[in-house]
Amino acid sequence: MLLCVHVPAFRLAVARRGIDSSGDVIILADKADRGRVLEVDDRAHTLGARRGQTVLQACAAAGGARVLVHDAPYAHTVWEDMLDDLDALSPLVDDTAEGTAYVEMRGCDGTAADWIARAHAVLTRFDLPVRAAAGPNKFAARAATYVRDGCICAPEEAAQLLAPLQLEVLDVEPAIVERLHLLGIATLGELARLPHGPFVRRFGARAMRWHDCARGIDPAPFRPRPYALQIEAAAFGEGSAAQEEQVYFALRVLAERICSDLSRAGKAAALLRTTFECENGDLRELDAGFAQATADPRVVLDILRAKLEGLIFDAPVTGLRLQALRLEECGTFTTLFSGTQPDPQTLAIALERLQAVGDIQTHQAHVRPAHLLESRFTLSHFVCHGERACPEQRFPGNASRREPLSSAPLAHVIEGRASTQLRMLPVREVAVRLRGNAPASVDARPVVNCAGPWRVDDGWFDSGHIARDEYDVLLEGGMLWRVYKQGEKWFLRGAYD
Amino acid sequence: MVSAAVADTFASLKAGLDARAAGRIVEPGGKPVSSGFAELDRVLAGGFIRGSIATLEGGTGSGGTAIVAAALASATRCGLAAAIHDGTLYPPDLERAGVVLERLLLVCAHSPLASARCADILLRSRAFSLVTLPAVNVRGTVWSRLGALAKKSDALLLALGQASTELGYFASTRVRCAIDRIFWTEGSGVLRELAGYEVCTQVFKHRRSAPGAVARLRIA
Repeated sequence: MLLCVHVPAFRLAVARRGIDSSGDVIILADKADRGRVLEVDDRAHTLGARRGQTVLQACAAAGGARVLVHDAPYAHTVWEDMLDDLDALSPLVDDTAEGTAYVEMRGCDGTAADWIARAHAVLTRFDLPVRAAAGPNKFAARAATYVRDGCICAPEEAAQLLAPLQLEVLDVEPAIVERLHLLGIATLGELARLPHGPFVRRFGARAMRWHDCARGIDPAPFRPRPYALQIEAAAFGEGSAAQEEQVYFALRVLAERICSDLSRAGKAAALLRTTFECENGDLRELDAGFAQATADPRVVLDILRAKLEGLIFDAPVTGLRLQALRLEECGTFTTLFSGTQPDPQTLAIALERLQAVGDIQTHQAHVRPAHLLESRFTLSHFVCHGERACPEQRFPGNASRREPLSSAPLAHVIEGRASTQLRMLPVREVAVRLRGNAPASVDARPVVNCAGPWRVDDGWFDSGHIARDEYDVLLEGGMLWRVYKQGEKWFLRGAYD
Repeated sequence: MVSAAVADTFASLKAGLDARAAGRIVEPGGKPVSSGFAELDRVLAGGFIRGSIATLEGGTGSGGTAIVAAALASATRCGLAAAIHDGTLYPPDLERAGVVLERLLLVCAHSPLASARCADILLRSRAFSLVTLPAVNVRGTVWSRLGALAKKSDALLLALGQASTELGYFASTRVRCAIDRIFWTEGSGVLRELAGYEVCTQVFKHRRSAPGAVARLRIA
């Protein structure tokens, strides 16, 4: 027997954890600004909000809805914690997707009702609407969670239990469901009664699985999740280190030990967590991410050194622990002609060292269409990898690999051309005298030439309404400024350089 | 008699080389870093010298940023570049100039010392072929170290703004910029737009060519 543990609308349920949302209509979006709807609660759904809509559309449909932003890393952590806790039921857990897991219960003590009760007991601390049900296979167990929480589907009763369920349980495209509806088939029972051969011939090979599932047969194998490999090294109770060199020496020893373990396991770490324990009881955790997963002690030590440059400890360090996290398979993807390719680790070290300087921000700029000058670009963290993931088939079993950032000449880049450059100076109010409707002087400097006004009207649909008239003015002395009038006041926005 | 013949031979050889090099002092070195303007590259004997400090001097409104943008465009076409700035660079204009933003690291530093430290880190990484920064006022020893790092990493450190005496001393190339003429589109008011400007650049220090050369660059 399999036990299915299912959290309906998992992402929404996680987002609602710890916040008082009772009485609110909730919409879950991927991002706050110009986001898309990922999940909606029942009340928002009743009001017309749907998945895939823009946040604006969903808010317009479900007026006054509260928008929560999906925190993918947090949701993933919660799900991983839940899976770890399910290990208490059985060592074999199949992680199908976030929100749905199967537990192999054959050979475990107790009855199906006991297992369900135990599953609820171990997951209580998560405060999520968990549904658990038992069935002879994955589909039957999952479908049983739709019937009711705690449902037990015996092998001989599977077809009977599934019969009244809607076709949507099969997870097929809405278009297929619509076609079946047109044929007068609305439930799994009606689907199961169709003759197997003609149905498969009409809907293709995929229909074989639907028909089997409708009859309570699911050939999908149970895939137990692999055990998490813990690689860490620690040094406690071996005196204290008051000098920087002593800490580095200890780190070097631990890094070599970790890298040796990683190599032996055929793994590379993408994240290293260092915990420092000081004499005064302070505990400090430091996460150092690598541009490329590595098992090279020199790279590990370089990154750690860069990370430590900006750190000051109040007391001597008495304990150190290094944990290798986000383990990946060894090996790196490189292009055939990689002579001009920058080393991602070198870049990562430089970025870490820049971060350690303090009061420094490192960015990568992205341009986007917008009315306001200031909104025409966004800044994000500089990444050492291209955003395109490698096709999975090149590295079977390792979908997380990414193409390294290449510095090979870009064939698609449009030949550069000289372009006027605006410097975005800090906005300050300026005194402007008008002649007619055009500026005649700015800050007591006569205007020699002027172009504009260009009306910018943005944000009228929310509270951030901005309406202003922009001008390019050439002042006596050669200064070329971008100024704008907002309300009755004039401001300097930038200077051409 | 022999010494006179040798002297004549050397004189004729030198005259021949001078004629071929058009008065430039020729020395071996890597391929120069293009400024992005053929005209400026010509007066700089091919471009800015790799592995050195160069300055584009002039205040805000002198046209220096346009030249920096063109140099960044040229550098990001086949490698990585970094721009240390005080938060005033405008990425959409950089992109219009041909800069590949994916390959440009923008480092926002608000103090002269932080800018110099960032330049130090970036040059040490040897990942960037061009690093630009404001011509900050720091001690001569800092510029000396940055110059040595630029040479070691074979990168160009391009400083923009009013150069201090110390920077002027350690820079291999100094170019003075000033906007000469400004072009507007036809029409008036709303129909009128800034069409571009002409930047007059004057080389007044260069390791490979005689100073004083002038190039007029059309920025549009």
